Amino acid sequence: MTWPRLSFVIGKGGAGKSTVSAALAAHLAGKRPTIHVELDQRGSAARILGVRAPERAPVKAGERLELVSLSPRRELERFIRRIVPLRVISDRMLESRTFSYVTAALPGLEAFLLLSRLSVMAGEAARDDTYVVVDGLSTGASLELLAVAGGVKNLAAAGTLNRLAADLEGFIADANRCGVAIVVTPHELALKETIEAAARLREQLNVSRVFAILNAVPAPLFTGPEAEQAMEASVEHAALVRRRLELEAASQRVRKELKACGIPVMELPMLFSENVGNREIARLIRSLRDKVAA
Amino acid sequence: MKASLIHGGHRLLLCLGPGGVGKTTTASALGLRAALEGRAVDVMTIDPAPRLLDALHVDCAISDPQEVVLDDLRVAATGRMRALKLDPKHTFDRVINRYAPTAAVAGAILENRLYREISGALAGVGDYMAMEKLLELYDDAETSLIVLDTPPAREALDFLGAPERLLDLLNSRATTLLGGGLKLSDLAARAVLSAFDRVTGLHLLGDVHAFVRSFEGMYQGFAERAARARSILYGPECLVLVITTPEELRVEETAGFIRSLQQAGIAIDGLVVNRVAPPMPPKSSLHKIKPPALRKKLERNWRDFAALKQRESAALRSLKEMIPAEAAMLVAPDLGREPRSLADLAEIAGMIDTPDLRRR
Repeated sequence: MTWPRLSFVIGKGGAGKSTVSAALAAHLAGKRPTIHVELDQRGSAARILGVRAPERAPVKAGERLELVSLSPRRELERFIRRIVPLRVISDRMLESRTFSYVTAALPGLEAFLLLSRLSVMAGEAARDDTYVVVDGLSTGASLELLAVAGGVKNLAAAGTLNRLAADLEGFIADANRCGVAIVVTPHELALKETIEAAARLREQLNVSRVFAILNAVPAPLFTGPEAEQAMEASVEHAALVRRRLELEAASQRVRKELKACGIPVMELPMLFSENVGNREIARLIRSLRDKVAA
Repeated sequence: MKASLIHGGHRLLLCLGPGGVGKTTTASALGLRAALEGRAVDVMTIDPAPRLLDALHVDCAISDPQEVVLDDLRVAATGRMRALKLDPKHTFDRVINRYAPTAAVAGAILENRLYREISGALAGVGDYMAMEKLLELYDDAETSLIVLDTPPAREALDFLGAPERLLDLLNSRATTLLGGGLKLSDLAARAVLSAFDRVTGLHLLGDVHAFVRSFEGMYQGFAERAARARSILYGPECLVLVITTPEELRVEETAGFIRSLQQAGIAIDGLVVNRVAPPMPPKSSLHKIKPPALRKKLERNWRDFAALKQRESAALRSLKEMIPAEAAMLVAPDLGREPRSLADLAEIAGMIDTPDLRRR
């Protein structure tokens, strides 16, 4: 499938968002310049790709790959600096605790500014034929972030902000500029969350490109009769065979249910390895090769 | 499991940790273990979609603790377990109604647009309200242990700071900000807010002003509650547990989390590592298996899971090195399936134990 200019890689904690987003960004960067945006300041993608974590300045992670860290707080700072021309005043204000309470009380201001920044990046990516991959949001947090456009639009019935919010809604709904990839592992809870999130993204937030990345799918090993034979042959290893079968069955179920809900699915293999290093990431990138067109 | 975690003199188990580690499950399993051993337990979760509670037949629409039926389990005579899901909005409304000096003030607050936004959406409000609910449960003399499942890591620190922040927000400085403070930064904040209002047409300044003003008469009540919550959270009756999983990417996150807790003056009493796989069977027992094709597959299967187990053991060792010497480390088992029933939870509860780090 062709890939949206800006893609949010979201999912439950522990589903492998950072690994998947790093692999995805590295894959896209094989074709076109790509920016990996981290929103949680944890430096996970940098660690996976073996480079220093980005802070205020971006970090190069390859010829065409750049890692960037954005935070709602920093976007607010940029905004304040823009509307308060005197640096000494804006600095004092940002340090003031009282001010931070007031901004905390402003409904979704920081999230709104962050989303605006991302939509600008998506516009640039469309113009320059590049890609942006956004990592670091749990499913719930990303739904909140994407909903902030509509929220602000309702709050500000007219004026600049209303127009900005309408633009953001347009960005979210644009299949070329914006897509959401939900990383899901073969687990019942993760599956339910994914189906619910996909429905909300499509129906309430009007996101047109929603898909699932089914992560950690084990390669099939035993046929049915073989599994039975194996469990009989070794009592000690029966539990291990059962774990394998359960993983496979769970992947099957998740795959089937996602398809039944009309959610396109891409699959990534389970990495049975002692660590996740360059070799493993390279494997993930390879398996993305025939699935994601850049 | 260390007996002291169940039978110590504490009345509160505070479960903190990153998202996605199974905090609700682990907190509930710890609660169940304590209930089976005879304590009267309340488990409170802040998880907005606690499917586990559905499985325990707890109605999440009710914001009071509900009895979990433990009939099929062997419960010590005094043991019982209740569970509830926190509904921040509902609790907030109750708090406002309790402390507002008059019904008119309560009505004004409940109608304020900021209040509605804050109470419905912002994570921080959940923290304040968890505090309120905690105090309510704490005052129930029949409850001997409260297990508190907190929001994910980033907000967990906010959670512990919630009493202070509530006081700060409501203290007179916030009012002077909006009423005509003299500080340069406050004046600048007002200037920005009014500029923002002009650009956006939101009238936030007026809303914030009205909001803070209407809280004035309630300050005393909040101050007392907040001080009390603080004394419980930092007091000897509270055990602080950090919950995590044995994954490489979690180790650094967990370390950072524990460091920031320490900076905030909170020492952790224990680390619970959830979803630890069962020990590996010896590979040698595969030698005799025939036909060879089947043996090869069994060996491949063993190798695959052994690699995962090694990855896990390395993470467990790093986690062990990271916690203070006096803190306990416990592991909770991975059932190989998701816990979806009381029986599953009881299985986990029964297997929570100290790790054997020598085993590979």
